[in-house]
Amino acid sequence: MSSTVTTSNRGRYRAASDVGGTFTDLVYYRVDGGTGAGGAVHSVKTDTTPPDFETGVMASLEQAGISPADLDFFAHGSTLVINALTEKKGVKTALITTKGFRDVLEIARGNRPDLFNFNFRKPAPFVDRYLRAELDERVNHKGEVQTAVCLEPLPALLDFFKAEGVQAIAVCFLHSYINPENEMQAVARIKTLWPDVSVLASHDISREWREYERTSTTVLAAFVHPLAKKYIESLEQHLLAGGFTGKPYMMQSNGGIATTDAARSNPIAMVESGPASGIFAAASLGRDIGEENLIVLDIGGTTAKCALVENGEIRITTEYHIDRDRKNPGYPIQTPVTELVEIGNGGGSIAWIDAGNRLHVGPQSAGALPGPAAYGKGGARVTTTDANLVLGRIDPHGFVGGTVQPDWNAVKAAFKPLQDRLKLSREELARGIVRIANANMTNALRLVSTNKGYDPRDFTLVAFGGGGALHVLALAEELQVRRVIVPVNSAVFSAWGMLLTDLRRDYLQTCPMALEPGNAGSLANAFHTLADRAYKDYAAEGLSPDKHEVVFEHHADMRYRGQEHTVKILFPFAGGSADLALAAKRFHAAHEKLYTYRLGAELQVVNLHLVANVAVDKPGLPEKPQTGITPEAAILRVRTVDFDPHGIHEAAIYDGLRLEPGMTFDGPAVVQEASVSMVVPPDYSVTVDSYGNYHAGRTCEPPA
Amino acid sequence: MAVDRFTSGIIQDALQAVGDEMFEALRRTSMSPIIYEALDYAVGATDAQGNLLAQGNGVTAFLGSLDSAVRGALEHYDGGAGLHPGDIILTNSPYRGGGTHLPDVVTILPVFHDGRIVAFTVNKAHWTEIGGMDTGSLTTRSTEIFQEGLHFRFLKLYEAGHLNTSLVELIRENVRLPDDTLGDMHAGVAAARVGARRLESLIGKYGLDTVLAAMEELLDYGERMTRLELLKLPEGVYTAEDVIEEDGLGNGPFTIKVAVTLKDGCCIADFTGTAAQAPGPVNCSYAGLLTGVRCVFKAVTNPDIPANGGAFRPLEIICPPRTLLTAESPAPVSLYFESLIAAIDVVWKALAPVAPNHLPAGHKRTVGSTFISGRHPDTGELYIMGEPLLGGWGAACDADGINGMFCCGNGETFNIPVELTEARYGLQVDQYAFHTQPGGEGKFRGGKGVVLDYRVTGEEAFLTVAFSRTRSRPWGLQGGREGSLNYAEVLRTDGKVERHSVATALALGKNETARLYSASGGGFGDPAERPADDVHNDLKNGYVTPEQAVRYYPQAGGHEPT
Repeated sequence: MSSTVTTSNRGRYRAASDVGGTFTDLVYYRVDGGTGAGGAVHSVKTDTTPPDFETGVMASLEQAGISPADLDFFAHGSTLVINALTEKKGVKTALITTKGFRDVLEIARGNRPDLFNFNFRKPAPFVDRYLRAELDERVNHKGEVQTAVCLEPLPALLDFFKAEGVQAIAVCFLHSYINPENEMQAVARIKTLWPDVSVLASHDISREWREYERTSTTVLAAFVHPLAKKYIESLEQHLLAGGFTGKPYMMQSNGGIATTDAARSNPIAMVESGPASGIFAAASLGRDIGEENLIVLDIGGTTAKCALVENGEIRITTEYHIDRDRKNPGYPIQTPVTELVEIGNGGGSIAWIDAGNRLHVGPQSAGALPGPAAYGKGGARVTTTDANLVLGRIDPHGFVGGTVQPDWNAVKAAFKPLQDRLKLSREELARGIVRIANANMTNALRLVSTNKGYDPRDFTLVAFGGGGALHVLALAEELQVRRVIVPVNSAVFSAWGMLLTDLRRDYLQTCPMALEPGNAGSLANAFHTLADRAYKDYAAEGLSPDKHEVVFEHHADMRYRGQEHTVKILFPFAGGSADLALAAKRFHAAHEKLYTYRLGAELQVVNLHLVANVAVDKPGLPEKPQTGITPEAAILRVRTVDFDPHGIHEAAIYDGLRLEPGMTFDGPAVVQEASVSMVVPPDYSVTVDSYGNYHAGRTCEPPA
Repeated sequence: MAVDRFTSGIIQDALQAVGDEMFEALRRTSMSPIIYEALDYAVGATDAQGNLLAQGNGVTAFLGSLDSAVRGALEHYDGGAGLHPGDIILTNSPYRGGGTHLPDVVTILPVFHDGRIVAFTVNKAHWTEIGGMDTGSLTTRSTEIFQEGLHFRFLKLYEAGHLNTSLVELIRENVRLPDDTLGDMHAGVAAARVGARRLESLIGKYGLDTVLAAMEELLDYGERMTRLELLKLPEGVYTAEDVIEEDGLGNGPFTIKVAVTLKDGCCIADFTGTAAQAPGPVNCSYAGLLTGVRCVFKAVTNPDIPANGGAFRPLEIICPPRTLLTAESPAPVSLYFESLIAAIDVVWKALAPVAPNHLPAGHKRTVGSTFISGRHPDTGELYIMGEPLLGGWGAACDADGINGMFCCGNGETFNIPVELTEARYGLQVDQYAFHTQPGGEGKFRGGKGVVLDYRVTGEEAFLTVAFSRTRSRPWGLQGGREGSLNYAEVLRTDGKVERHSVATALALGKNETARLYSASGGGFGDPAERPADDVHNDLKNGYVTPEQAVRYYPQAGGHEPT
């Protein structure tokens, strides 16, 4: 296929590695050298090995028995960037701004989300004031250079930065999103004067307006740049030393993969790569099985993440923040990220009672260490996982993949003080914890669905992550979702997602203009400029335009005149010209869906958003073989399970790996895989699809 | 009826979530930057009697507005007998039911179930334009309410589901930016409806009795939690006094005075002795006072306790009628927020010595309202730039004050990005930075105020500012020094510099600059006790000048380290 990135024929495996906080997952399958067909998907887990994460990655390949020389394709996702940011473990960074604006980074937006706390602490800037310098320069909002940048102070300034131990520099000038000339000159001179320093210009990181957000993004990118560069190079060297002949790909926050060159030049694009691949995988799975409208739920150890997929499209936003919650403004990162809502509710979330005797679950988490009480690693507080264990919803024999015997004494001890406070039995308390955890997650799911004008009943709920299968049917019932899918191997679904992804680059450009025929030419030109950038960037990474077809998607962030916030629409742009009438129609409809009304006001385009995809050549997903056994043959045992609020029942425990396509069985049941328990209450039935995924729904529709 | 405790808790959390949903709906639908960027609004729900169940605020200073607005509406409509399904009420009357000043418009939706009112959803938002004598509907020179804009007293915008088009047309013809104003009106309706739908679905799922019981438990829970916190504070009577410098018409200063009694898990704030209502628009009506005291009450108890009617049961407010904080018709109230913040600040000042973990030293104490209007040089269209000004907060007992943040009456309030200001308005911003004026020295240093320059790029523009703390300074604690002052300068092209603190529609020519200064906060503790290393660090970062270090921090050695 000439239109795709063709990988070498010498290799025999496609593999993806996902470095998480605790474990490094490797998911892989063999590609038949003759037919090109893919084999069954396997996975291994090894310990994550900070700070040298590549050691864990190489260990996982070794454990899987794969030599890098046998790899056809290798994609990699890592929490390196987000961890370095949230733990503030990057390099000493300096900032250069337009004269008069070095304090923008510290002033930030001036907000105080913790409204009634008069002793509020604003998050500290990533660059101290003495390392924030200014240059005389000015571009106005029309992109006209009013004052050319004065580079004279640079040599002395860089000497000062050197003496202070600075390792990275961010440069952000006003209105550089529309005219980067001054920024380019400053960065070019810095590179000449100090070739070894990491220097990033804001226009290379974001082409959107809002100077604080763009400055923050550039500073955070610079802060992690040397680390990310070193890590990527080290990973490449390890793979090369092992005989890998290709180039690894890095998972990005936009749901696509990028070459290592691209990832090195803009590391901030990797910031939310973990959730992105899971959401992408769900969308891809949906397309394969004809379910294009999905609510995606990823329940991990400390958080649950929800996202919406409509018509097979993942939503991308650049209004992303780290460290933001109800009390903390966090730090904005203006980079394309899959739009999701994250709440502090996962398997490790701690149950606690406040002074008013109310039970809460999360957001504090027991994390990987000490972990839930049942892990027996010193965890003294009850977590959602412990409650699920007490209720028999997690199989004690298959706890943590059967590798750990639950520490019942620790569980009992952890429950005791809470029981004493509330005067409840252990089981009653456990039910309360699961119900509260479910309610928390339901509220989060509403934020991505009903809050955005969608009816969850029109969607299929896809759940994965360690806790997805445990909770999903209770959540579906609450939201009245009719169809539920739990993918096979749902605990490593995010890593699996990377095997399905293609190369993707997102180009956003702020260029405010009215949506009117007189501007059609400017719109087309702006899209063509972005397309040229895409061709140029891909060519710089060695992808030749004759061999690799770049497929574009056009989007625009639009608004009614007078509004500030925008709505993203798929922009009708074909054959080099825009269909403005259709764009208007789409915008009105999208606005009405989100905000319940439409206006007669003038329409404006604020940002153009071009997605440039290059498909990666890959075999179709292998179907799960059928041997003709009956579902009963897959039953491991029968166990008592509490299906609150559907009562306590003897439930069949099915071995997920032995279930075969076409099988159907009814609850009460639990589907057991290593590290996954899917709880199926009475009145629900499960069907296994041709890939081994579990589809669940009510046996009969509930009365209206 | 008794509800099992988990169901009740889950319903209570869902009520909070209703607040979140309405908040998002209003932010996203609004047409006015002051709503969608400054988040100058609040949303909430009450029970059938008007007891606050949950509130989602963009700013702190609407905390007393929603429930009192609903109670006002109930009173106006015969205890609810005059309300019908499909009704939506608008009110902005400052003297009755939750009103503050006319641009803050409350939208109230009674939620019916089986023919009776079971709850209300309600929101209050600052509309950019409501008419009146000055552009932007904010004035420093009114003498009566009649000059301040359209006055709605519990009018039905929707009656049994039908839009009152006469009211809409009346609004359209009496405001300067009708598209924006009507957009704000629609946003309020959309948010109230979103909340009503969710309440209806909660009732559908759990049943009316269960939901009503959960509402009652929520209020009791708020009260229980708050009393526990109050008991942690030392009992006693704590007093403070302060001033508001001027009323916009050249009168002043005006005294604000409070005696706060903490006893038996209750709190009484008595403002007797506060100045009579002023001739100019700096007056605040009772809803504003209620809001202000509730804010600081939450700050000294536990800010995390959900804001509901129960949490405020232990609070009592005493203030004679017709004072600066209990103004009555037809007193002008356009700048009410400055008095509201001063009311917060004076209670804060009274309690700070006994609640050091909750309350730092005094902050800039002004919204710093700044409006610039004119014609955009590119399009010739009228623009109105309205923005609060951020500034310094006071030092805490264990930390320096916050640099550059909006005042205590704001909250989830965002400044307008310079790049947007310049594109949208006929203005260029020449600097946005911390200033180095003295003030706030202490063992812990007060936070820095800012200097912000707006240069006019069109032919002319008009500047309105309304600052307080313009001659009195943010107070220090335990020997910390006072902060600096809020003021505006006009830099004329002929080199003259004028200084202003309250002014309406000052004419500025092309290339003339409005330079705004916000105060730095008060310090905490004797400056002599500040560790020399911290002073050196301040010098390195330019938060303190070498001259200031020599004068206030001799322990640092008196010269800037290399």
